[in-house]
Amino acid sequence: MRYFLLCIPFFLQACSSPSPAPAPDPAALSWEEVEQQAKGGAVQMMMWQGDPLINAYMNDYVVPAVADRYGIDLHIAGGQGNIIVQQLMAEMQAGKTDSELDLLWINGETFYQLRQIDGLYGPWTEALPNGQYVDWKNPFIARDFQQPVQGFECPWGNVQMAIIYNSAAVPEPPRDREALAGWVKAHPGRFTWDMHFTGLTFLKSLLIDIAGGQEALSGPFDEEKYRMYSERLWTYVREIRPYLWKEGKTFPEAVAPMHQLFASGELWFTMSNNDSEVDNKVLQGLFPETTRAYVWESGTIQNSHYLGIPRLSANKAGAMVVANFLLSPEAQYRKQDPQVWGDGTVLALDRLPEEWQQRFRELPGRKYAPRREEMQQRALPELAPEYMIRLADDFRKKIVEGSE
Amino acid sequence: MKRIWQLLSWAVFLALAVLPLLAGWGYAGAYSLGLTGLLSKGFTWGYWQAVLADPAFWRSLGFSVYVSVASITLATGMALAAVLAWRRELHRGWLSYAVYLPLTLPALVVGFAMFQLLAKGGLLSRISFHIGLTDSLVAFPDWVNDPYGIGIIVAHTWMAVPFFMLMFFNLFQSEGLALLGQVARSLGAAGRQVAWKVYVPVLLRRAYPLLVLYGLFVFGSYEAPLLLGAQSPQMISVLAIRKLQRFNLMEVPQAYAVSVFFVVVVIGFLVLMRRRGAAASLKI
Repeated sequence: MRYFLLCIPFFLQACSSPSPAPAPDPAALSWEEVEQQAKGGAVQMMMWQGDPLINAYMNDYVVPAVADRYGIDLHIAGGQGNIIVQQLMAEMQAGKTDSELDLLWINGETFYQLRQIDGLYGPWTEALPNGQYVDWKNPFIARDFQQPVQGFECPWGNVQMAIIYNSAAVPEPPRDREALAGWVKAHPGRFTWDMHFTGLTFLKSLLIDIAGGQEALSGPFDEEKYRMYSERLWTYVREIRPYLWKEGKTFPEAVAPMHQLFASGELWFTMSNNDSEVDNKVLQGLFPETTRAYVWESGTIQNSHYLGIPRLSANKAGAMVVANFLLSPEAQYRKQDPQVWGDGTVLALDRLPEEWQQRFRELPGRKYAPRREEMQQRALPELAPEYMIRLADDFRKKIVEGSE
Repeated sequence: MKRIWQLLSWAVFLALAVLPLLAGWGYAGAYSLGLTGLLSKGFTWGYWQAVLADPAFWRSLGFSVYVSVASITLATGMALAAVLAWRRELHRGWLSYAVYLPLTLPALVVGFAMFQLLAKGGLLSRISFHIGLTDSLVAFPDWVNDPYGIGIIVAHTWMAVPFFMLMFFNLFQSEGLALLGQVARSLGAAGRQVAWKVYVPVLLRRAYPLLVLYGLFVFGSYEAPLLLGAQSPQMISVLAIRKLQRFNLMEVPQAYAVSVFFVVVVIGFLVLMRRRGAAASLKI
């Protein structure tokens, strides 16, 4: 009975009480003053906690490091995307002046929603000393789902979608749209995609391919283009639907159940928005060692994930210091190690001091996914958020519910 | 003095139980009409129209009723049979303990266990493959994420049977049915007649309100349908949470409209039941 969720704003309203005057805006202070203000404070971070390796990176490395070096007490709470949006919306609707959260791990769709409700603090990323190592003009960093970031979020990691398959069952995986159609018809029930973020990213990749590739849909949402190309996308999906998992009558709720179906052998393919996840999952023993990841010839979507600070955060300085640490060459290097997390760095290697460049180059490579440089050549930019909203709606109406 | 206590307890009940519920409901109502919310643009019937005009919503409502009725019917039948067959074992012995076990498991755990048991890659499918009933794991029938809600119904039935068994067993004792049975037998009724004409009618009549309440609980359940249901049709609570949490923030008011509608259905049903209950008790 999750209906009680709907009542939360009311309870929050009842509990909120007037709070002391807010601290001065840290973006206007010098970095020393920001660190000074952050010292001894607590930072509440909300992030997705669905991966033991990622949790270990945060709990065993980041939390002690920021406590040691900056005297910051970092608390991590589980929650992503819609949970974050719901919580901030509830706080704002209840008229709270101090948010429960100080730092958020977000991606483009959440960034769009949080900007829609004016929930983010900013601009603040220019103040970060480690920002000097970031190429802010790189389109995969400067724009999040085609929206200019404008200092309202700080890049943290960069990933590209990869298709994952079991090479024991599929020696030659299909490399484009037509080949996939042929393959699923020959192997019914072994391929599908999920209803959530990953599946929609897959559909977006197909849409870009149908529209003519890389730049065809860049820029703001274009209704006419969407109608034309999405119609062709649905024709394609209807063609392969009877040969999908469960005859395409239903789709996995999210990527985690899809991984489970892959691990149990029911599916021969799964997919991930993080190209390193395959290494990470094989290391954990969840996927068989015959698992491999690859990218289609027509490409897959690459995007960065970011850190944001709520507009109502009571400890923005603390959040900025933690974000600066997460952006440091040391923390980014550790994070990119496939044994640790395997999340691509957002630092521009040519801007780093020589010794760090060397260390990044010598990082042990991945075993089950193609090299990052290879994938980069087939990287597609994220589309404007409206494409995803429309695809999600239409996929449900036209395909899943089949009312048209 | 007694009067004051009575008034006080009423006040506490109102403040703790009724008021928050009414306030939450009022808030949801206001949200669904665009009267509040961060993105609201003022009063509109638009969200209600969108919900009521959506065939998926009505399918979802019908599907929830179907799952609820099917689960309760199955669980009632099985619990009645079990209580009548194993009355003695329920009194003492291992069954009297074992029957409590499923009651301790949260719906989420049961849902997950059912998934591991019933999916194509699950335990039953593996067994049936090994003994040669199916020639591959995929050949196993669709029992989870299926359009008929088989997985959801199995999970809810599994959770409800022990509860119903305990309820029927206690009713059996408190209504003195053993004695009534003896009377019927001494008047010449056969064993089957005693069960069908004496035990079952009395048990069902006495348990009726609780069965209906449990049905409403299943009607609004969330975890089992989320894990075991298909994407379409979805049970009503899954639909509401989806509208609340997915990508399009403009659908949030629709989620509130769905939840207000849900409460109206439940309260309407309870009022109807009370009227019928009153009428039925007059007849007796």
